[in-house]
Amino acid sequence: MLELIAAVRSDGTTGDTGDDEDERSGRSRWERLRQSDFVRSAPFWGPPFLLMGFFVYAAIGWNFLLSLTDYERFQGPDYSNLDFGMYRRMLDDPTFWEATQNTLILLIVFTVACLVAGLLLAILLDREVRFGRGFRTIYLLPMSLSFIVTAQFWKWMYNSQFGIINEFFGLFGLGPYGWLSNPDLVLFSVIFALVWQFSGYTMIVYLAALRAIPQDQYEAARVDGASTLKLYWRVIIPQLKPAMVSASVVLLLFSLKAFDFLFALFDGYQPRKGADILSTMMVREAFARSQWAYSSAIAIVLFLLSLAVIAPYLYQQHRQGNL
Amino acid sequence: MARAKLDEVTKIFTEDDGSEVVAVDDVTLDIDDGEFLVLVGPSGCGKSTTLRMVAGLETITDGEIRLDGTVINDVPAKDRDIAMVFQSYALYPHMSVRGNMSFGLEESTNLGDDEIAKRVEESAGMMGIGDLLDRKPSDLSGGQQQRVALGRAIVRDPAVFLMDEPLSNLDAKLRAQMRTELQRLQNELDVTTIYVTHDQTEAMTMGDRIAILDDGELQQVGTPLECYHRPKNLFVAGFIGDPPMNFLQVTNEDGTLIDHSFEYPLPPQVASAVEGTDSLVLGVRPEDIELEPDQSRADDHTISATIDVVEPMGDENVVYLRLADGATVARPDLAEQDAAEGTDVNDAAVEGSDDAKGGIAGESRSTIIATIGGMQHFDDGQDISIRIPPDAIHVFDADSTEALHNRTLQDADAVPGI
Amino acid sequence: MTTAPPQETDSTSSDGIRALPLRTAGYYLLLLGLVVFYLLPMETGFMTSIKTAVGVRESLPFLLPGTDLSFQIPFVEFDVDTMLEQTTDEKWRDAYDTLSRGMVNSMLFTIPSTILCAIFGSMAAYGLTLVKWRGQVFVLALFIAGIFIPYQAVIIPLTELYGFIDLQYRLGAIWALPFLSEERHPTILELIITHTAYGIPICTVLFRAQYQTMSWEMIEAARLDGAGLWRIYRRIVLPLSIPMFSVVFIFQFTQIWNEFLFSVTLIRSSVDEAASVTLILGQLGQAIEGTDFPLRMAGAFVAAAPTIVVYILFTDKFAEGVRV
Repeated sequence: MLELIAAVRSDGTTGDTGDDEDERSGRSRWERLRQSDFVRSAPFWGPPFLLMGFFVYAAIGWNFLLSLTDYERFQGPDYSNLDFGMYRRMLDDPTFWEATQNTLILLIVFTVACLVAGLLLAILLDREVRFGRGFRTIYLLPMSLSFIVTAQFWKWMYNSQFGIINEFFGLFGLGPYGWLSNPDLVLFSVIFALVWQFSGYTMIVYLAALRAIPQDQYEAARVDGASTLKLYWRVIIPQLKPAMVSASVVLLLFSLKAFDFLFALFDGYQPRKGADILSTMMVREAFARSQWAYSSAIAIVLFLLSLAVIAPYLYQQHRQGNL
Repeated sequence: MARAKLDEVTKIFTEDDGSEVVAVDDVTLDIDDGEFLVLVGPSGCGKSTTLRMVAGLETITDGEIRLDGTVINDVPAKDRDIAMVFQSYALYPHMSVRGNMSFGLEESTNLGDDEIAKRVEESAGMMGIGDLLDRKPSDLSGGQQQRVALGRAIVRDPAVFLMDEPLSNLDAKLRAQMRTELQRLQNELDVTTIYVTHDQTEAMTMGDRIAILDDGELQQVGTPLECYHRPKNLFVAGFIGDPPMNFLQVTNEDGTLIDHSFEYPLPPQVASAVEGTDSLVLGVRPEDIELEPDQSRADDHTISATIDVVEPMGDENVVYLRLADGATVARPDLAEQDAAEGTDVNDAAVEGSDDAKGGIAGESRSTIIATIGGMQHFDDGQDISIRIPPDAIHVFDADSTEALHNRTLQDADAVPGI
Repeated sequence: MTTAPPQETDSTSSDGIRALPLRTAGYYLLLLGLVVFYLLPMETGFMTSIKTAVGVRESLPFLLPGTDLSFQIPFVEFDVDTMLEQTTDEKWRDAYDTLSRGMVNSMLFTIPSTILCAIFGSMAAYGLTLVKWRGQVFVLALFIAGIFIPYQAVIIPLTELYGFIDLQYRLGAIWALPFLSEERHPTILELIITHTAYGIPICTVLFRAQYQTMSWEMIEAARLDGAGLWRIYRRIVLPLSIPMFSVVFIFQFTQIWNEFLFSVTLIRSSVDEAASVTLILGQLGQAIEGTDFPLRMAGAFVAAAPTIVVYILFTDKFAEGVRV
C-alpha cells in the first residue's frame, strides 16, 4: 500500500514540473526504488544477512573451492589446478565408508529413538500432574548442558571397571561389557547417551503440539468408542505430524554434525573403532592430519547430506505457507 | 433408542484449593424413548456438566444415570452407545469427512468395511454432504462442518444423541435453518435426544419438553408452552420468553397490590391464592400489556407511564416505558443470575452472548417492556397509561420466588401441551 | 510459551486417574523412575566428585562416600567416620583453579556475542517479517538453512580467514591498551565475531516467530500515523520484543557457552591464554596413568554451573528457545 502512495506522490510532483517523458519515468523509477519497502527495510536485515551470509554461504563456497585443490595445511593452496581428486580419494577410503555407515546408523536410530521417547514423555506429562513443571524441568535439564559436560558423566557411567551400568548388569551376573571399547557396542552406547540428552527436547516440541489439540478431540474420540490406545494412535498422534517433522529435521541435522560429544567421550579426534562418523572424521583429517583439501571434501559431503534434509523441509514449509 | 433416566444426580467439583463447587444439584429427569429434551439455563447453570455426565465424560458424584433401566454410572464413555455433537464440532482435522464419519463405527462396532461405507454414504446423503466426503474439515464452511458433526453422530445410530450447543457457532440465519432441520431429522430418526443450549428460543422451538436449570438446580420440566404460561417460579418466568416478563415489586393489602405509585385490585380468585403473603412480585408478559394513549380512560388496572424508546421491528413495536414516580421493578432472578459464578467449563464459551442479555436485563430494572402491533404509533417521551389485564397476570411470592398464581388461559385446550 | 488450557474442573476424572488410586500410584512411580533416569548420571558425577581415590574404589559410584548397599534393612551400610575420611573437596578446588581462567574467557566472548546476536536477529526479523517485500521468502530461507548448516562445512575457511586477516597483527595498537593482552584478546575477538555470525540465523527465526504474531493492523496504523520504519521499530516493535529478548539471551548464552567445535579449532589448545571453559574441561585430569574421574566430574559441574543456574531460573524461556 505504501508503495502505491509513494508512486502517486512521485508522479504528482514530476507532473507539476512538466519534465519530458523519458526523464520522468527514469526519475520516478529511481524514486520508487528508493521508496520501496525492499530498500527501506534493507538497513535492518542487510547487515545481519551480509555477516551471516559471508560466514555461512561464502565460507561454504570457499570450502568447496578448497576441496578441489590438493591443499595440505601450511603449504598454501594452489587454485590453478582444480579437480575432483579428493572426492575420488574419499571413495577409495575404507575409513570414509565406515564413517558413512556409522553416520547413517546414528542418524536413523538416534532420530527414531528420540522421537519415540519424547512422545511417550510428552503424553505422560500432558495432563494435570502434580509437580508437572518440576518433572518437565528435570527431563529437559540434560539439554541445557554442554556435550563436553555430559560426555564426562557418561564416560564415567560406561566405565568398564567402576561404571554404574556395568555394576547394574553385574547384579544379574552379566558383564562386564566394554561399552566404549567394544566396536559392536560403542555406537549404541553413544546413541543411548545422546537420547538421554535429547529426549527432553522432543518432549518439549510434542508437548507444545499436544497442548494445541483441543480437549474435545479426546472427548469426541472417547464418545466415538475409541480405547485410550486407539485414541492416541488414530486421533492424537496423527495431529502431531507437523511437530514430528520439525523435530526430525533438528535431530537428523544434529546427527550429521555431532562432534563435541564424541570428541569428549574419547578424549581426542579419534573415536574408538565403531564410533567414527563423518563429522568426527572431517575434523580429524583437518586438525589432526592437516589434510585440508581432503577434509574440505568430506565437509562438502556433510553439507550436501544436510541440504538433502533442509531443502525438502523448507520447500514443504513454504508450500504450506509457514515461511 | 432408549429411555434415559437421571436419578438425583449430583456433581461436585473440588477446586485446587480444596473448596467444593456444586455444579449439578440433585437433578432428576426422565427422558422418554424418542423424546427431544432441551436442557436450558444461563451460563454456569450446570447444563453442560449434566450432559457430560450422561456422556461419561464427567464422573457422577452422587445419584444414578440409567439407560433403559441399566445403571451406567461406571460404564466408560466408549461403551455407552451414545453419540455427541460438540459445540466446536470436534471434527478430527487430519481425517476426511468420510474418515470422521466412519471412525466411530470402526471403533465401536464390528461392522465390515463395506457395511460401514454404506452407512456413511446413507447418513451423508441424509445430511446433504454426500459430495463432501473426501474433503478435509478445514476445507469446509462452518455450516458444512456442523452438518458433518451431525452426520458423524447420526451414522452411529446410537441409543441417545447428546448435543452440546451445536448451533451456537453458526450465524443467525443458518442457525434458524438448522433448527428446523434438526427437528425434522430427530422426528425422522426418532432417537432420544438431550440438547443443551443457553438460548431460550432454541429451547422453545425445538424441545418436546424443556428442563430449565439454574445454579445446578432443576427449576422446571415441562413442554415449552407449559413453561411459558405456567412458570413455577420467578426464574423460569424471567428466563423463558423474549423480551422477558415484566416484574413489579408490590405489597399485598387485602387483595390489592400496592406500590407507592399505583394500586392494583386483584380478581377474587387470585386474591385468595395470594392471601397471607405480603411481599409479592407481579409479573406480566410484554405482549399482554395494552397501551392507552388517552389517559382519561384510566381505570383500576392502568398505571401511568412515559414512553422511553420505541424499537420498531416491523411486525411489532417493542416499547420501553418508565413508570411514574419510580415504581419498583423487580428482577430478582436476573440479579441472582449475575451473581452466579460460571462453574461450568463449557458454558464459559457462551458467556459473551449472556453478557449481551445481561445488558438489557440491567436496563429493564427501571423499565417496563411492552410489545404492540407494528401499525400502532407512539412517540418517545409520550405520557400514556398502560393497562395490565387481570387475567394475564402472574403473581409470585417475593421471598420464596414460587409462583402463587399463573395467568388464566381462556381456551386452555387450544394450547397444546398444557 | 504454551499454557495448558484453563481447566478449572477436575479433568483428571475424565482421565480416570483419580478414580483408580492404583493407576495413579503407578503413574507417579513411572514419572519418578524417569527422574532417576535423567538425574542418575549427574548424581553419580556429583558423588564421585567429592570422593577421595579410596572412596571411589570402595563405594558404588552413585552412593555417598563410605556407604555400600546391603541386603538387610535399611539396605545401606553407613559409617560416618569412613564417610568423612573418604570425602574431599580437593577435586572441586582443583577443578575451579584450572577452569576459572576458562570461565573468564568464555564469559568474555559469550556475553558480547549473545547481545550482538539478539540485536542483529531482532533487526533482521523485523526487516523480513513486519515489512513485506517480494522475494523476502528466499532471503528468509537462507537464514533458516543457516541454522542447520553443519559447522564442519565452514570450519576450514574460517581458520584460513583468521590466519589471513591476522587480527593480532592488524589491530596491533589496540592490544597495547590497558586490560588487553596480545596473546589472549585477538582470539576472543575472533570468537565473538564467529559466534555472532553463526548465532544470527537462530535468533532471527526466534524473533520472527514472535513478530508473526504481532498485529499487522497495528504496524499499518503506525505507518498511517506517519511513522517511518526506524520509528516503528524503536517505538513499537522493540518494546514488544522484550520477552523474546530474554528468551534469546538465555538460549543463546547457553548455546555459546556450551559450544566446543569453534573452541577446539580456533583456540586449539587448552593451554592457550584464551582457552574456553569447554576446551579446558575436555582435557582436564588426563594423565598417563588414566583419567582422574573425580576431578573430571567436579570440573564438569564447575563448567556447567552458569548454564545450570540460568536453566533452573529460566526453564520456560529456555524451553521456548529450544522449541523453535
